[in-house]
Amino acid sequence: MKSSVPSSPRRERGRAHTVLALLTIGTMLLTSACAVANSDAAGDAGSADGRTLRLVLTQEPPTLEPCESSLTATGVVVRSNITEPLVERDPTSGKLDPLLATGWRQTKPTTWTFDIRPGVTFQNGQPFTAKDAAFSIDRAVNSDLACNVDGYVFGDEKLEVHAVSPTRLTVTTEKTDPILPLRLSFVEIVPRTTSTKAKVRIPIGTGPYAVTSWQTGVSISLARNENYWGKAPAYPRARYVWRSDASVRAAMIDKGEADIATALDHTSADKGNTVAYPNNETTALRLDGREAPLNDIRVRKAIGMAVDREGIIEALLGGLAKPAAQLVPPGVVGHNDDLAPVPYRVAAARALVKQAADDGVPVHRQITLVARNGMFAGISEVAEALQYEMDRVGLNVRIRMADTATHLQYQLRPLPRNVGPVALLIMHGNQAGDAAFTTSQYLVSDGPQSTFGTKELDRRIAAADALSGKAREKAFAEVLGYQNETVAQYAYLAHMRGLLGLSPKVRYRPDSATGDEMRLAEVGPARAGRH
Amino acid sequence: MTSFLRKRIISSAIPLVFVVLGVFCLARLTGSPVDLYLPLSATPQQRAEFSAAHGFDDSIPVQLWDYLTNAAQLDFGTSLRTGEPAGTMVLDAFPVTLQLAGVTMLLAILGALLVGSLAAYRPNSLIDRIAGLLSMTAASIPDFWFAIVGVLVFGVGLDWLPTSGTLGGPEIWVLPIATLLIRPFGVLVQVVRGSMVGALSAPYVKVARSKGAGPKRVVFGHALRNSITPVLTVAGDLTVGLVNGAVIVETIFGWPGIGKLMIDSILQRDFAVLQAAVLLTAVTIFALNILVDVCHALIDPRVRQAVPA
Amino acid sequence: MTDPADPTGSTDPTDSADRPSGAAAVPSRQRPPRWWLLLGRDRAAAVAAVILAGVFLVALFGRLFIGDRAVRQDLRASLRPPSLDHGFYGLLGTDVLGRSVLARLVDAAGTTLSIAVPAVLCSLLIGSALGLWAGYHGGMRENVAMRVADVILSFPSLLIAVVVLYVFAPSAMNIVLILAVARVPVYLRTARAESAELRSRLFVDAARTFGTPSRNIIYRHILPIALPTLLTVATLDFCFVMLTESSLSFLGIGIQPPDVSWGLMVAQGRQYLQTAWWIAVLPGVAIVLTTVSATVLAAWVRLATDPAQRWRLTLPRKRRGNRAAVPSEMIA
Repeated sequence: MKSSVPSSPRRERGRAHTVLALLTIGTMLLTSACAVANSDAAGDAGSADGRTLRLVLTQEPPTLEPCESSLTATGVVVRSNITEPLVERDPTSGKLDPLLATGWRQTKPTTWTFDIRPGVTFQNGQPFTAKDAAFSIDRAVNSDLACNVDGYVFGDEKLEVHAVSPTRLTVTTEKTDPILPLRLSFVEIVPRTTSTKAKVRIPIGTGPYAVTSWQTGVSISLARNENYWGKAPAYPRARYVWRSDASVRAAMIDKGEADIATALDHTSADKGNTVAYPNNETTALRLDGREAPLNDIRVRKAIGMAVDREGIIEALLGGLAKPAAQLVPPGVVGHNDDLAPVPYRVAAARALVKQAADDGVPVHRQITLVARNGMFAGISEVAEALQYEMDRVGLNVRIRMADTATHLQYQLRPLPRNVGPVALLIMHGNQAGDAAFTTSQYLVSDGPQSTFGTKELDRRIAAADALSGKAREKAFAEVLGYQNETVAQYAYLAHMRGLLGLSPKVRYRPDSATGDEMRLAEVGPARAGRH
Repeated sequence: MTSFLRKRIISSAIPLVFVVLGVFCLARLTGSPVDLYLPLSATPQQRAEFSAAHGFDDSIPVQLWDYLTNAAQLDFGTSLRTGEPAGTMVLDAFPVTLQLAGVTMLLAILGALLVGSLAAYRPNSLIDRIAGLLSMTAASIPDFWFAIVGVLVFGVGLDWLPTSGTLGGPEIWVLPIATLLIRPFGVLVQVVRGSMVGALSAPYVKVARSKGAGPKRVVFGHALRNSITPVLTVAGDLTVGLVNGAVIVETIFGWPGIGKLMIDSILQRDFAVLQAAVLLTAVTIFALNILVDVCHALIDPRVRQAVPA
Repeated sequence: MTDPADPTGSTDPTDSADRPSGAAAVPSRQRPPRWWLLLGRDRAAAVAAVILAGVFLVALFGRLFIGDRAVRQDLRASLRPPSLDHGFYGLLGTDVLGRSVLARLVDAAGTTLSIAVPAVLCSLLIGSALGLWAGYHGGMRENVAMRVADVILSFPSLLIAVVVLYVFAPSAMNIVLILAVARVPVYLRTARAESAELRSRLFVDAARTFGTPSRNIIYRHILPIALPTLLTVATLDFCFVMLTESSLSFLGIGIQPPDVSWGLMVAQGRQYLQTAWWIAVLPGVAIVLTTVSATVLAAWVRLATDPAQRWRLTLPRKRRGNRAAVPSEMIA
């Protein structure tokens, strides 16, 4: 075989072609690249003047369809910014405030009447009347759109909605519904010209901001609605972008590329540019009491004692949480003020496990600790700490980090079979503000997110649910205490706090609803002097 | 040439079918998306309705048949997440990755040819040793680590470059490209250097030297030309590997490319988008392989006979 | 026709003429110098060999010495910087859970190599065997093998790894398997190219005429010639496997704690880059050192095992250092 001599004319030509082709492709790529880069340059330059509020989220909203706004990623952009509901719940006090409805009352046992705010127009100039409200409720609840908010808030309930006059709306339910206004606070109002056949990607509403453009994958731009019925927001424009890595979001705040960043990580964020706020979330290990060794209450209680809550919070959560003794944080109806976190006692926990082992409980059977990637900052370290602490008292634990879909399979009924004993790290947020929501999901023996329970606990929960006022609070508090004593399905970790990145240039006070609904109208430029 | 091309394309179409089948079945094994798309408190009846509406209650063969018949009419289904046609989403994301990968490979090849031949010019010289060490180090740095360090150092610390995103001037390309570039560049420098050192001891170079060609002309004129072939081959394979890098880079820098789309659709169990994205990537990789083969065949007539099929 | 990631570019057609055809082509029959003497002459290769040997020793026996220090947590000793104040195991500081970074590096060396080595070996064995077989026989068999390679290559390997590891739990075994399968085509294509080229050589023809079974021809005559190239590809792949394992950890689906690999340490430590650089940087340095050493050593082995190139190593250092592109003794 001869080595090729480069002077063969045929080869020469072929190679010349190849080189030429490569060069052409390269030039094309470079020019198109610059074209792409430059097309947005103008929009970006506009942001440096302080008239555009720049926000960075964790992910792109899948859609801005208002009837999907119970999805966090959608709701955080849409709710109270682009569209508004009839009434809204104050996240701090739990009271309902008027928004597009000025007042409401129960006129019949099954009927509620709402007074519609006059003089409001949609962003497309159309006036807002009771007909639009009726249309929006119908569209979200009674249509075939399969809206997320329908399943989330109303279940199978069918509503009968009538616009009695332009300013009066009646809503009739099949059964008496004392919390109908609270439920309707999840329905965002859209004009009656909105499609009922398909979901809309970019909605029109009555809110303080309107969508001007959505560059898929890149950004969503909003502009102030100059005809807004309420107080005009401070910033004429707002723009959302998204980055999934927390350290990049933090870097954007530090560098001044963004004004507000959601879900920062205490390790990578500059302390001066962040605000911590209670986000109503509570973390705990759900122990599957149907499987040995977790079917022994001594083992379950030992796990509670083995967890070094203070240490985990201090070292892994940046001190941004409070040790928990129950699934609902303070402020929720039914929170038991008398419950104290289980003290951290390794020796006592070890003794309990040994006692159980002596009684024939197979304490060495492997327990799977399931946690979800990205549930909160530092999740994998927390899982490792829990694994180590459970191992140390004589149990055999392995970690399984799962993605959301896999985690949900472990979390929801029907629970997976043949997976052995599972300790599931859950994060529960009670946004409705009433312990009934927690108990019906997590504590009753056949609750969708509960692995087991007792008849007595079910009875007490049912009894508490029938009460109201002070008696209700007391009864639910007792339920929570009772479950800790006699059922112990949960080893609590902490009441969490969120971390919001906030540039020194803006002023905003996050509250427990910020993660689901970030009201841009409440954001303003920082007063001079704050740096 | 055309018959070579035709054979090559036909024999590539069969694997494509396997790719479609494989990704379809694998995706379904990862579990049902129903829980992800319904509220936690959804009733069993709502779950059943959702499954029925999206065809998840059919058996796998039935679902596959539906998918294939629709795909044959270029209907790749609808995204569960956004409600948009999967085909459109994939086609929107594709150019971003194509540009990233194209610019990266162009820079990597040009840079590697330059550095590699400088190194091969004097084997074991200082330049050679530095180039060798740098290229080997570059090829073994974890890309996500490089990206985040880049953001912290050049984005925040030195304030030279934007941290991330696609909004802005040409400088937004620097960090993503640099992250994607390090590995192909490192590998290619070694390939160029290796094949140049080999070529420099080949008979035709001796002939050129004996005819009085200077060392520069020998290296850059004769030997460099002949090392194009292995560089092309390796570059083709590295371009395929760039899809992996694109997943990381697009995730960190927030670029709306196909890598990010794929990883998101896996996490969200958005099967239609995943299938469409993998199909498009596979088609591109096939096209790329064929392009590399054609280049080879153009350069070297012997390859034309040697190619199977 | 394709030869991915081969730094020496041996499939360059110009190169094949230089390559000895098996043992027959060695020009002089004098005894080659001892390999350790050759290694001693090349300082870079010697350093690389020492580092690699050290890494393997640590990976094999390190765990005997560290006890449970790699997993022993102390939340009160979280994020201690490297210092001399906390004994030997505090030399490189502690991670966020208060574990000794030094002990974890040692523990991770074992895990990392126990993933990278089997993965590379598996893909090397399967890919080379298939490739040599396909290339030798040609025709339909070759065609099928190449299309299988095409199928595997056209799945983005990282994403398929993610999908597969969601379906089957992300155990070390599964990670090894998926990485091995993803890399099989690389060897398959390289081996096929070599084998297809060699099958028409005279010595192979001769063996065939004498009635040697094809299995033996591949094993005795083709494999020895293709092996150096395949081994070079394998060392580069070693790097690829470690990096992919690390990327999997970044996506949250790699090695599961409390097991630890260098890749996982880098991935977990990336959040602490600003506050505690040592957590992410040290394992990163370990990855780079190991792969660079492997590459350097592989290049050296290639030279040392190639009779036509070995002379380069026997030259005194000084002369090698100042040599022009083509040594004068070659232009003869």
